[in-house]
Amino acid sequence: MSFTIATTLDEALQALATGARPVAGGSDLVVGARHGKAPLPEHLVAIDRITELQCIEVTDAGVCIGAGVNHHIIEHHPLLSNAFAGLSDGSALVGSPSTRNVGTLGGNVMNSSPAMDTGSPLMVLGAEAELRSLRGSRRVGMAELWTGPGRHSAEADELCVAIHIATPAPRSNSAYLRLEYRRSMEIAVVGAAAAVTIADDGSVSAVRVALTAVAPTIIEVTGIGLGSVAEVAAAAAAAASEQARPISDVRASDKYRRHTVGVMARRAVEAAARRALGEPVSVPVNRAIGIGAAS
Amino acid sequence: MSTTSVPRFVRADGPDKVTGSGRYTADLTLTGTLVAKFKYAEVSHARIARLDVSAARAIPGVFAVLTQDDVPDVRFGPFVQDRTLFARDVVRFEGEIVAAVAAIDVPTAQRALNAIVVEYAPLPVVNDIEAALAADAPLVHEGWSQYGAADVLVRERNDASFASIAKGDVERGMAEADTVVHSRYVADGCHAAPIEPRAVVAQWEGNKVTIWTTTQVPFDARAGVCETLEMPASRVRIIVPHLGGGFGGKCGFHYEAHVAALAKATKRPVRLVFSRREEFIAPDRRREGIVFDFETGVKADGTIVARKVWLAIDNGAYTADAGFFSQLAAMHALGPYQVPNALAEAHLVYTNHQPSGSVRAPTAPQTCWALESHTDEVAKAIGMDPVAFRIKNAVATGKEGPSGQVYDEIGLVDCIEAATARAGYGDDLPDDEAIGVAIGWWPSFSAASGAYVKIDGDGSGQIITGAQECGTGAVMTLRQLVADELGMQPEDFELVYQDTSAAPYDMGATGSQTLFNNGRAAIAAAGQIAEQLKQLAADMLEASPADIVLADGAASVAGTPSRSVPITELAGIAAGGELLIGHGSGVPPAAQEVSGATCIGDVGMTAWVAPQFSCHAVRVKLDRDTGVARVLHVSTAHDSGTIINRIGATGQVEGGVMMGIGQALTEGTRYNDEGQQRNAALLEYKLQTCADAPPIDIHFVEINTPNAGPRGAKGLAEAPNVATAAAIANAIAKIAGTPIRQLPMTAERVWETMNTEGSPA
Repeated sequence: MSFTIATTLDEALQALATGARPVAGGSDLVVGARHGKAPLPEHLVAIDRITELQCIEVTDAGVCIGAGVNHHIIEHHPLLSNAFAGLSDGSALVGSPSTRNVGTLGGNVMNSSPAMDTGSPLMVLGAEAELRSLRGSRRVGMAELWTGPGRHSAEADELCVAIHIATPAPRSNSAYLRLEYRRSMEIAVVGAAAAVTIADDGSVSAVRVALTAVAPTIIEVTGIGLGSVAEVAAAAAAAASEQARPISDVRASDKYRRHTVGVMARRAVEAAARRALGEPVSVPVNRAIGIGAAS
Repeated sequence: MSTTSVPRFVRADGPDKVTGSGRYTADLTLTGTLVAKFKYAEVSHARIARLDVSAARAIPGVFAVLTQDDVPDVRFGPFVQDRTLFARDVVRFEGEIVAAVAAIDVPTAQRALNAIVVEYAPLPVVNDIEAALAADAPLVHEGWSQYGAADVLVRERNDASFASIAKGDVERGMAEADTVVHSRYVADGCHAAPIEPRAVVAQWEGNKVTIWTTTQVPFDARAGVCETLEMPASRVRIIVPHLGGGFGGKCGFHYEAHVAALAKATKRPVRLVFSRREEFIAPDRRREGIVFDFETGVKADGTIVARKVWLAIDNGAYTADAGFFSQLAAMHALGPYQVPNALAEAHLVYTNHQPSGSVRAPTAPQTCWALESHTDEVAKAIGMDPVAFRIKNAVATGKEGPSGQVYDEIGLVDCIEAATARAGYGDDLPDDEAIGVAIGWWPSFSAASGAYVKIDGDGSGQIITGAQECGTGAVMTLRQLVADELGMQPEDFELVYQDTSAAPYDMGATGSQTLFNNGRAAIAAAGQIAEQLKQLAADMLEASPADIVLADGAASVAGTPSRSVPITELAGIAAGGELLIGHGSGVPPAAQEVSGATCIGDVGMTAWVAPQFSCHAVRVKLDRDTGVARVLHVSTAHDSGTIINRIGATGQVEGGVMMGIGQALTEGTRYNDEGQQRNAALLEYKLQTCADAPPIDIHFVEINTPNAGPRGAKGLAEAPNVATAAAIANAIAKIAGTPIRQLPMTAERVWETMNTEGSPA
């Protein structure tokens, strides 16, 4: 058993090349090991002190979020919570305040849980993960990255160093909602994100919807027709319920999940559209409107 | 009436707990301590065909592996002696202990568990409460009729305790009714879920054993060790370090004897620390599931004329302390109402589930939920406002309750009026919101209890009490009572508690009884010292002892404050002569005789000493699309007599309400077809969190209660947990248009109910 603290990206990539596994906040890795889900890897390399992984870089083209940026920062970052609000919605719902202070975006992405709260926002925002190894660097879209529950297409020596998201078109925004039975320490029963662009006539000119916890991975909904916000929201709900492949377990039945993911999809489209029109809907949507709202 | 005598209340155990300097049982390390681990049945019902621990014993680092063959063959249980320390021949639930290991470290102990060979011959799993009552149902205990049991219990096959309460003529009452409403409800079991999992450390010196343990009831734990290991009480010492919550789940006798037996066998100290999963599946204390059938006959003017209830409680595999649950549930099912013709029949049914036992107000929250949901159905059936219906029929001062008890001064109607007014009941609300109202009751438990008080030569005092602090603050409040008695400050007293060899008996942190009984004892002990101080002061000040007043840390002559002597000075004098030592117990208040009803299986639960009453009015918002209910505001009113420690009392109500919200919406044990728990983890068994807490309005109806505890106090710790879930249910039913018939009322169940064909929603 070894534990290496990397202070540069190169040190981390060296360690990965020799078989070590990365740990940042440890909120999945350590908790999973304690619960017997998977033993701690024999060799660990800590990547939480690598400054390159902590940056948030904004350009005209888009934003680059370092893999080590934690959920608390994403929730409160002025640009992210405005222009990429759906992602901030997701980060704001992760675990508890202490989880959000240690849990990182890169960790959430590479843990590849179908119930991850940042997953469907990243998918509708067209995000790409930057994977780096001693062999080089590549970018992978979310649909290509996630291959199954807890599984992804990155090689063992590749480290997710950043998430890249292109700047959305004007009059666009996103939102993420989840069905939750309590307001903290919760895992999405189902969830849905939407990214919406509003045309000058007020109709929806582009829409993407992705679903959480209703399939082995985060999935994107296809074939949603355009039209008014209400029409698109209804179409998204119907398509989400139709395309979901949920399981029955102790949290919910497949029937209930199939129904409620449609409700989440409809509300995500509605909230994203309101934001795209400049209406303030605070982060997270789960606390801004509806049943989970503060009052 | 004076309520709080100090504006600020600092718990004596607060700084230790908040700063982390306090020590809990799992923190204790003694030289050479071994690790204890249990081998559990894992299966719900089977005959042990083969049990071989020889390979486990042979592993280096394993110091002992014990089975039932290695301990006295004693069947124990407070009501039915149906249990042994380890499984003997048959396992009856998944958390039953088959063997125990003591080893040098955790991995070695785990290897030893893996090396234990157990082969099972499956027996039919009794997984359904009602089916278990069938005449041809498989028996959980083939030898039930041979077991020792309390004489009052009425037992038959899987029915471990049948109780009935009959008053008037229920059939004639129903015939006289204008409307009869029939309802069925099912409550799932749930858990106490204290944040500190159980831990036990045992160490022998000669033929005496000291056991540090996470019990709420140290003397009960000691009695269990004495019974199962066949030892006199004088050789067993139970010490409880800080306790990290109990909620009733840590009442009773649990694993103290197992660990003591391991420590004896290994001649080493042994420590057991539970995992969260063990905490869920193993203890014989979880809130019992209950099936209810109600029938209430009512006149058109809203007068209840008859009520008939049948209920069956999931006892689980062993009876633990649930023997009195049948009659207690029967009382709660009839409710705090004037019911002239009543019949309640209650069964306590063996199943192959984890055993049930006292969790905060056992049987009450779920029975209140069912009865109060039914009550709203009755009011709706006759077109009467449910609050007006309750006020019309509720028990009140001088009125007779369903068991024939005629109540002294009580404040139930005051509670209903206060809680509903403070909630804004009747105001306009959005169409996805409603206020639900429910009333509840709970006894105060009168019991023997003792305490010592001493004041040392420097004037500092100690209260040495048998009482147990499980977080409620009841023991902490003793400082206030004693200080008031002696004209001193609470901070002048240290507490020595939770040690059976240091202090006299107390029943423990159970039945909301600590302040009710131990407060009486501590006041009596302080009273003896007060007499001593007055005599000393009288001698010094040349006055009569009767004229001496103890206040502000001094003894002075009444009316002449200048003739005064500090108590510290008197303590110095006493230190060279007759020491300042007081001991107290006092006479427990007696229960009223009840003659109005006929009771079978009577365990004394029909006449309540200083009964407590409550009304909760809860505003709920319901997401009709998903069935998710959210509690927006809780208004509570409690008649718990005089409130002595207002901060502590407020904390009890807040905690009880939060527990009630969890029971209402998210907390419930799910079983698979084999009787095993599917959600024995905090991720899947969803407690409420701070983020879920609504504003909670707290109001105490303080009336002069005869025959109560110190200064007119009743109990309080359990009562706030009784009515919350019921009030939430009635709010949801208003919005959904129909009651939710299963507890917890999970989002999916609410949604299913609203979308079932024929539903009015």
